Amino acid sequence: MEQTTILQMHEVNKTFDKVKALDNVEFELKSNEILGLLGGNGAGKTTLMNVLYGLYKMDSGSIILNGKPITIPSPKDAIAHGIGMVHQHFLQINNYTVLDNIILGTSVSRPWTADRKKEKAAIEELCKRFGLEIDLDAYIETLPLGVRQKVEILKALYRGVNILILDEPTTNLIPQEVDALFETLKIMVKEGLSIVFITHKLREVLHICDRISVLREGKNVVSLTRKDASDEMLVRAMVGEGMDLQKSVIFSESSKKIITTKRETVLQLENVSLVNSDKINVLSDISFEIGAGEILGIAGVAGNGQRDLAEVVMGIQTATSGTIKFMNEDITQSSTKENISRGFVYIPEDRLADGFLHKASVAYNLILGYHNLPPYSNKGIVNWKNVNAASREMIKKFTIKTTGPDDAGGNLSGGNIQRVMIARAFSQSSKLMVAHNPTRGLDIPSMDFVYKNIFEHAETGMATLLLSEDLDELLLISNRIAVMYRGKIVGILPREKFDKYAIGRMMSGYDQESK
Amino acid sequence: MTQIKKSLPYIIAVVGAFIAAGIFIAAIQYNPFEAYKTLITTSFRTPNGFIQTLMKWVPLTLTALAFTVPLSSGKYNIGAEGQFLAGAIGATTVGILLADLPPALLIPLVIIAGIITGALWGLISAWLLYQFNINEILSTVLLNFISFQLVDYVATGPWRDPSAGAPTTIAIGQNGYLPMLIKNPPLSIGVILMILVAIGIYFYTNKTTSGYELVATGANPRAAKVHGIDTRKMFLLSMVIGAAAAGLAGAMEVSGVQHRLIEGIHSNFATLGLIIGLISRGKNQAVPFVAFFIAVLEVGASAMQRTMMIPSQVVLIVEALIVIFILLSDLIKRRQK
Repeated sequence: MEQTTILQMHEVNKTFDKVKALDNVEFELKSNEILGLLGGNGAGKTTLMNVLYGLYKMDSGSIILNGKPITIPSPKDAIAHGIGMVHQHFLQINNYTVLDNIILGTSVSRPWTADRKKEKAAIEELCKRFGLEIDLDAYIETLPLGVRQKVEILKALYRGVNILILDEPTTNLIPQEVDALFETLKIMVKEGLSIVFITHKLREVLHICDRISVLREGKNVVSLTRKDASDEMLVRAMVGEGMDLQKSVIFSESSKKIITTKRETVLQLENVSLVNSDKINVLSDISFEIGAGEILGIAGVAGNGQRDLAEVVMGIQTATSGTIKFMNEDITQSSTKENISRGFVYIPEDRLADGFLHKASVAYNLILGYHNLPPYSNKGIVNWKNVNAASREMIKKFTIKTTGPDDAGGNLSGGNIQRVMIARAFSQSSKLMVAHNPTRGLDIPSMDFVYKNIFEHAETGMATLLLSEDLDELLLISNRIAVMYRGKIVGILPREKFDKYAIGRMMSGYDQESK
Repeated sequence: MTQIKKSLPYIIAVVGAFIAAGIFIAAIQYNPFEAYKTLITTSFRTPNGFIQTLMKWVPLTLTALAFTVPLSSGKYNIGAEGQFLAGAIGATTVGILLADLPPALLIPLVIIAGIITGALWGLISAWLLYQFNINEILSTVLLNFISFQLVDYVATGPWRDPSAGAPTTIAIGQNGYLPMLIKNPPLSIGVILMILVAIGIYFYTNKTTSGYELVATGANPRAAKVHGIDTRKMFLLSMVIGAAAAGLAGAMEVSGVQHRLIEGIHSNFATLGLIIGLISRGKNQAVPFVAFFIAVLEVGASAMQRTMMIPSQVVLIVEALIVIFILLSDLIKRRQK
């Protein structure tokens, strides 16, 4: 098929506060192609596409569509130009049906009645054409994330876009759903669409994309076709020259020192259940144990009780029944404070709500939870000299971008807030770490740094409960993976039995329902 | 440089408020420059003026702290008035019942009684919040109304002073009067007590782990809880500390100034305390300084009314405008982001 350039972006610049998010970025999209926009967190991929979709205004630069320069002041204009975008967080109305969500905001043929037969027929036609199987009369809140994503894609198709931007579309999908999405994308390209696929996952790019463009720190690094691309050069393009790939956890095979020998049990859960304040069984009959130095991964689609599990272990919520034992001591009724003094550390999932004090200084944040312990305090008096010295050290070691310990927490970006939580967690010589999506929002070298720290602490005997929505992360560093579905552990696999598709099946509850 | 940049919004807010109120003064046919000269200089021209200012400074600082300490944990105590009155009632009761005790006993008892009754009055709201999650703004405001009735009851009951025109109790025992630093014009040691309390609260919130937990709770209660801080306890504690400060103010007003319970003894201290707390943006360590500034304005205001016939309410306009301008500068700062 003859491919022509349909869209170009020239010398795009965008600055947030003082951070240069996009620095003279060039971008080109051809007809009938899937373009992989690759880069770590903070590389500027999403920012660039938000500019194209009219969500951000660029400081300078130009956009040329089909040979004509255009401006895109708002998403409405983007759609008028045939550009659609599916964000990581879907903007859908939960108690509306799929059909209502799709046609919301478009003009309908018979506005004075509730008759939408014509629209429904048109959407059904689209579904058939692109191989998207959806029940249009289902309510959004009843649908799993994979289906809700299809709704979002349909929304764009229904508005007649011919350029579709997908922002990290595989984040919350199980492997089977990822395959299905890729099939849809291939059909879409055949039907004449062009697709921009934003991702930080190398394998996906090599699997599906025709061309690959890599961004790093807001700059173009390289653009090439898949034929010319190799694993190693893409990795290098993404992480830059500074990182030693041989010594990294993510890219080097040799450094994966996963300890599998059985050691003394640190944490043990026996038939733990939790009924929340709405009388819903959020955890049922959870049993597992973690040995010293072991990393137990918890896989599962977001919202299957992972957060409640983490909070029950930490003592933030108290189990309704069952027992939790730490070093053979019953801690089911223990408070968070007691658990912290036992050597528990927690990296919460929701860093904005659960992990960070926006209105307090960076130093306040770095000692949160450990403020009762020496050297931070003695007999109820805070030793600010020690706190500030330790804070400066952590800021340096974990490359937190801040002016110093007294800087206001509110001045930090998302990635730096994550670094504060990581620094805080690793500042202690802990016995048990509960980490929930610990690397969300971090760039690749920082992710690697986190893994190295987990391994280092594991070597001293720390047990880790790693709850993650990133299956690749779990497969990379866990000794065993337990899969959660609707508040239950549906299976625990040892490392030698790791299989992406088997885990995906368990995550979707397929095994449960067939029983 | 950054310090100047940081304080610039305050300076603009204060200057802006004076200019805006100046226009108002001119509009009601008075000379704003003369008015402001009286307003600012009265406190410093005569010893009498200065001591009056100090006497206002004491209750203003304490009632402002009654607002800002709970605010450090994120709770709004609008009940300083009721807690002040509860403190005044407690102090009066002890002062009358135990009038025959020697000063070394009676003075501390009167003051402690005021602190305890003030704290208990605040504890009602704090406990309702702790136990039933009842909004503290509502409960503290409503308890103010109850306290007015209580003062009425005590001041018109068996202890009523029949010779007084307004509802007033008889005087507390002379041994319960706060010692004077200066006899004439009268200045009690209350000012020293207040400074000690302000320093104590600064030390508590900034140097102790409990104070750290208080600030962390105010900064993000959910994150504080997740990291092992008993946030409900911090809510309770901060409300009670604030209420105790207001109770102390009430006790010192009885023991150091009026020597009896008078209906309306609370003046407008609690309202001004709120304004002071807002101008300080809830920072406990800024409260004494802002309170002093407001005390200067208040003393100047009565002088202005006496000598120039300008209604003293003009000062309330200035104070309110400062608050509004400071809040406005916050808004502008947020918009710029």
